[in-house]
Amino acid sequence: MKVKGFLKDVGGASRVTKLRRETIQAASNVPDPKDPIRALADALHPGPEMYRLVSVTDASPTAKTFRFEPLGGHVPVFQAGQYACFYFKIGESVVTRAYSISSAPYEARLEKPYFEITVRKNRPYFVPDYIYSELKIGDEVKVDLPFSAFHVDPVRDSKTLMGLAGGSGITPFLSMAREIAHGTLDADLTILYGSVQHGDIVCGEELDRIAAACPRVKIVNIMSDDPEWEGEKGFVTEELIRKYSKGDVTYFFCGPWPMFFLVQKALKNMGVPDRRFRHEAMMQPANVRQIPGFPEDQIGQVHKITVVRGIQKDVIDGAADEPVAVSLERAGIPIDAHCRGGECGYCRAQLLKGNIFVSPLGDGRRKMDKEMGWFHSCSAFPTSDLEIKIPIL
Amino acid sequence: MSFYKDHYQVVIIGGALAGLSAALQLQAFGVKDILILEKHNLPGGLATSFVRDGFEIEATLHEMMSIGPKEDRLKVGQFFDEMGVDIDWLRVPEAYRFVEPKKNIDITLHAGFRTMADEINAKYPGWGEKVYQFMLLCNTVYDSMNYLSTHSMSKLQMLLKHPDFVKTAGYTAKEVIDTWGFPQDVVDILTPYWIYVGEPIDNLPFTIYAFLMADYFRGGSYVCRGFSHEMSMKLERKVEENGAQIEFRQEVEKILVKNGKVTGVRTKRGDVIHCDYVISAAYPNRVYTQMIEPASEVPEGAVKFINGMKLSVTTCSVMMILKGTPEEIGIKDYNIFQADSMESADLRAEGLTAGPFKYLTSICLNLSNPDCTPKGYTQFSITTLPRVQGFLDMKEEDYHAYKEKLAREMIAEYERVSGVTIHDRIEEIEVSTPATIAHYLGSWKGSIYGYTHSIDNHAVARLQMREEDHFIEGLEFACATGMSGNGMGPAVTNGRAAAKYTKAAMDAAKGGTAK
Repeated sequence: MKVKGFLKDVGGASRVTKLRRETIQAASNVPDPKDPIRALADALHPGPEMYRLVSVTDASPTAKTFRFEPLGGHVPVFQAGQYACFYFKIGESVVTRAYSISSAPYEARLEKPYFEITVRKNRPYFVPDYIYSELKIGDEVKVDLPFSAFHVDPVRDSKTLMGLAGGSGITPFLSMAREIAHGTLDADLTILYGSVQHGDIVCGEELDRIAAACPRVKIVNIMSDDPEWEGEKGFVTEELIRKYSKGDVTYFFCGPWPMFFLVQKALKNMGVPDRRFRHEAMMQPANVRQIPGFPEDQIGQVHKITVVRGIQKDVIDGAADEPVAVSLERAGIPIDAHCRGGECGYCRAQLLKGNIFVSPLGDGRRKMDKEMGWFHSCSAFPTSDLEIKIPIL
Repeated sequence: MSFYKDHYQVVIIGGALAGLSAALQLQAFGVKDILILEKHNLPGGLATSFVRDGFEIEATLHEMMSIGPKEDRLKVGQFFDEMGVDIDWLRVPEAYRFVEPKKNIDITLHAGFRTMADEINAKYPGWGEKVYQFMLLCNTVYDSMNYLSTHSMSKLQMLLKHPDFVKTAGYTAKEVIDTWGFPQDVVDILTPYWIYVGEPIDNLPFTIYAFLMADYFRGGSYVCRGFSHEMSMKLERKVEENGAQIEFRQEVEKILVKNGKVTGVRTKRGDVIHCDYVISAAYPNRVYTQMIEPASEVPEGAVKFINGMKLSVTTCSVMMILKGTPEEIGIKDYNIFQADSMESADLRAEGLTAGPFKYLTSICLNLSNPDCTPKGYTQFSITTLPRVQGFLDMKEEDYHAYKEKLAREMIAEYERVSGVTIHDRIEEIEVSTPATIAHYLGSWKGSIYGYTHSIDNHAVARLQMREEDHFIEGLEFACATGMSGNGMGPAVTNGRAAAKYTKAAMDAAKGGTAK
């Protein structure tokens, strides 16, 4: 092999070394720590930051809207439909809780940015009413946002949207409706909103106001048990979905599990392709009997969980009918569960010994994680004594 | 309550392929007292996957190089085998299909020097034999490179035993290819892999080009049945079985240095961990400008070094699950490289922007790994590898609109060139940008490919200058900025090299034989 001539060829290695040395010698000796792309990434996903509760307003007789302003003056850009993860300090425990953001993305870009969540009273779980009973105006709370793929993807989704909401599942659609009315989300949205009685409708007045002012937003309230109600009645059925669907619709669902199964069946009957059906990662049902395949005989049992963090080992109680993440939180061991539905994987942990039952609802584990014994602790239940390894938080 | 021992012999920053391979190699050397700290909550860095609505989606791996078939393992495959890291490798069916519509070029090449030469000969009669000879040259350089990366010898010996390597070392890929007199179409067909090292051929050392060509066309390429996450998980498990401690969600903020020597690290959480050696997957840029504590311990030479290095490419990718089987959709190829132009100047200019991109590589994973989706779906991605420059001024407020535009442009360009329609079949879609990389990996400016594989930063020169590029005692780097450069195969090799130098430093400190 000859390229240019023997001497030039064999001198190549020395030549490129000299070139490199000269390049480095000629470089500046002033350190440049600026990394604008990491700064962009950090702006989009800053991690947990402190926010102040600035107002609480009634959203219905049973729900309130809580507005938070960032201490640092910045709310990350989010998309309508996404959620925020709150860190509540309850006794010795830090407990996480995900709430869909009910305010619109544009409101977080105002001169005085904020975001809101709308929460219904009396939702049973490990954080019952904390936000009602403990959080006062002026209090500071740690929040991480935004999360979830539950938002319109304009490349994939059609521009005709239908929101199928149950109870407090209305909140992501409130965000979408506000953003559409503001002209910053290019879509038409019809919301079929199921409640028990008209008094349960969350943010009803505001939704009516938006729908009256913006022809792109339409709201249909459906009461399952309200004799006085003059509008649509019953559940959110195939018949009703058909009635209000026109053209190529992308369906978004947010609501309780029993309603999910009904809606899923209805859409399947209608021949709606999977890609036109988006649904939010929902928390595991508080009642484990609603989880398909849950081992009945485990209910009421308590196992020991040995928790490995680094070289530290702690032994805690693990109720068989509570997710491992909840047992950790009860014991004051942080786990940073976000979606609490098994999907997001923030609470990923390693099973070293013992057996678990993993909820098939929203099982978001990777193939190899399943094979190699890693699990998402928000959706896994101990069925024997366990030894697990979790991150040091 | 303490989660760490007071002291470790080695702390490895980053639990991706380089960091894990460094640990594995150290363990093979008998070093057991190792702590690995990883920022994310799983191992692997870019070698990872994610799940959307039940679909697991490969994040990055197109074609793992340096594995080779079981009976003829190449360097990385051999290392994994020897270390007992048992990965379910699936061979990729073809090297690539290359499409350049303006020149009416559309050809598919398969691994095997003779095979691909015949395929070229079928379209460009009379050139097959010459292409074959050219591939043999690439292979000779490849063998020399593998040998010399682990053996030292004098210049004269090198010239006698590795003449082709020595004679081509000073030239760009273009300079060497030009001496063969191939028609320009054949040159275009032989050079789409430039993207996997991030440098157009007029500035890419022939050595590196030859390495790529020989490796891919000799050994073929591979993916893991369990996605690249399988590789990461199996490395991690082995390293842990061998006694290392691995902790996730631990971002290291500071490397503590005293009198020019590493003494420990401090994590974002606030843990101070003492150690004698640090192997860092964080780029030298971040380490020397932000992480060394105190900053006065950073020598001027280190600053000149990082300022003298140019970052290679990063990546933008549109990852999709499509409704329909590849057959139903009309996708026939595992991998297509498509180009509007193969002129180095055009490719370079495009790479300095944030789009629209015309040089694209697309992957249909099902055609290598049929189990990567449930039946009736297809996993498909379109990727480009630009420089970071086009992204430096991007605003948070514009980010989602940019991702949408990028996805639309890349999908449309793929559809235009391939004639296959995919946009109305999207079941799941995620778009990654340099900001995505920066978020999950924390890598410098969202970069993935370290420093340029350019003629002024030649791998041969890196090797020669290894001593003068080393600034702090006890600190080695195991990342894409290493000697072997970028990509998953080289990441493993870079990690092993860091282990080797660390072990040499340990031996020297004990008064044993160094190097």
